[in-house]
Amino acid sequence: MKLSKVFYNGLIKENPIFVQLIGMCSALAVSTSAKNGLAMGLAVTGVLIGSNFVISLLRKVIPDKIRIPAFVVVIATFVTIVEMFMKAYTQDLYSALGIFIPLIVVNCIILARAEAFASKNGVIPSIVDGLGMGLGYTLALLILGSLREIIGAGSIFGKQLFGPAFEPALIFIMPPGAFILLGILIAIFNTVRKKKAAAEAN
Amino acid sequence: MNETLKLGLILFIITVISASILAVSNNITTPKIAEADALKDDLAKKEILPQGDKFEPLEEGKMEEIKSEYPNIIEIYEGHNKNDLEGYTVKMKVNGYGGEIEFMTGVSTDGKITGIKILNNGETPGLGGNATKPYFSDSFKNKPVDKELNAVKKPESDNEVQALTGATITTTAVVDGVNIVSEIYNSKLAN
Amino acid sequence: MSLFTILISTIFVNNFVLSRFLGICPFLGVSNKTETATGMGIAVTFVVTLSSIITYIIQKSVLDKLGLEYLQTIVFILVIAALVQFVEMVMKKTSPTLYSALGVYLPLITTNCIVLGVAILNIQEGYNLIQTIFNAFGASVGFSLALVLMAGIREKFELIDIPEALEGFPIALITAGLMSIAFLGFNGLV
Repeated sequence: MKLSKVFYNGLIKENPIFVQLIGMCSALAVSTSAKNGLAMGLAVTGVLIGSNFVISLLRKVIPDKIRIPAFVVVIATFVTIVEMFMKAYTQDLYSALGIFIPLIVVNCIILARAEAFASKNGVIPSIVDGLGMGLGYTLALLILGSLREIIGAGSIFGKQLFGPAFEPALIFIMPPGAFILLGILIAIFNTVRKKKAAAEAN
Repeated sequence: MNETLKLGLILFIITVISASILAVSNNITTPKIAEADALKDDLAKKEILPQGDKFEPLEEGKMEEIKSEYPNIIEIYEGHNKNDLEGYTVKMKVNGYGGEIEFMTGVSTDGKITGIKILNNGETPGLGGNATKPYFSDSFKNKPVDKELNAVKKPESDNEVQALTGATITTTAVVDGVNIVSEIYNSKLAN
Repeated sequence: MSLFTILISTIFVNNFVLSRFLGICPFLGVSNKTETATGMGIAVTFVVTLSSIITYIIQKSVLDKLGLEYLQTIVFILVIAALVQFVEMVMKKTSPTLYSALGVYLPLITTNCIVLGVAILNIQEGYNLIQTIFNAFGASVGFSLALVLMAGIREKFELIDIPEALEGFPIALITAGLMSIAFLGFNGLV
């Protein structure tokens, strides 16, 4: 498989949130603002690249029977490292993302990529896969976070967009808004994909 | 059995390697975290008690006494200007909507709140996260410590502060926290 | 915080699924039938409560004592994985009926973030052992409640016309959003 294809696959074609529908918990929880969404996306990308790299490196050493616990240990190690460095250098983001940083461990995306890709492919493709999937996840979170921030708070990356006459729809930065907006986004993504597939078939 | 043992051993080795990597990175980041915390605390102290230019921790015995009664208090500093005691800064944690909120309150020796500063928090941006904005924190300035504060939409009298729209839990948590600070000031610090 | 407040707050006010976004995957994945939803709910309640007790004891008696707090994530997830495996084995040997009812859900639970999430929250909130048990129990009952309600609603979907674009996940998410609005109404309780 060509590397560019692996990358595109993660970013758009098999986008973790919009297409595979995995890793929803953190996507819904931390997309309260564009900044938080972006930060979470990058944290996940970091862990994903790291764990894909190590697991692909060790894929011939780890016996098949204990591969899942071994993967989990590798993933947890990277998550803890990311957590420590965020705490040291970007404390605001660390407290904004809160419990969802350690919970990256159980984010299905990471274990799924380890099992489906990194344990079967070489080191370079695995890194590219991690990068593609991670950025696909980041993209989805950034879109969701920006929309929620614009509609719910009238700002983007903390900058006010509208005059004082704009009354933000608070519900969109509260939990219900996350569910509803993600539902609508997935519906749009599905429709576009179906149209495109139909057009290609003709 | 032999195979189980071998598998367990491999997993154990992986875990040991992971733990040692984490120990190393913990050693690198711990001083950085302490440094970042200290820097942030210093700035916060100067902001909420502007008349103080030298801050010293409250004497240990008294601190222990306060902590045993109010476990949410993290630390208390005395703010001095030259040789005069100007007031206190109280750092504490309360439970907000998105986990713990750490914040600092300044109290002057003439019994007024001189300011509050929200530090680490996981409140929702745009809702409880607005607690970090000046329109919320400034509304605490110059409130007397002998009255219990209440949060309302449009503060008028001197025991009313600004409530945050759509974030009752955050507002209540911080206001209750500041009221505890007043209580501590009245019963333990002012004499 | 009183034990009763913890229960009410975790089940209704801060429902772990609808307001804290923990356990979304099974919430959307196994909520097609009330029967399976109930099974999953019971299995989760059992594992969450048990793992909270064990992780709490490990944190207090090993990690805190040895200054190894930074190994929390890695230790907790291993304990949870081992526990799930162990529960599955015990169930299979002692109660085949229970196993046939709940067994299929057990492997899914390890990666359910509500288990690790609750275990970490217990420590973060500074609960004692009793509060931990109540918090874990309330959290998982809240999860089960949301799951069963959702399944009840989704069973009705088969009878109605849903716009093509919304079929499947999108309509489930929007439904969850409406449920979440309803749960906001509990806010005044605590």
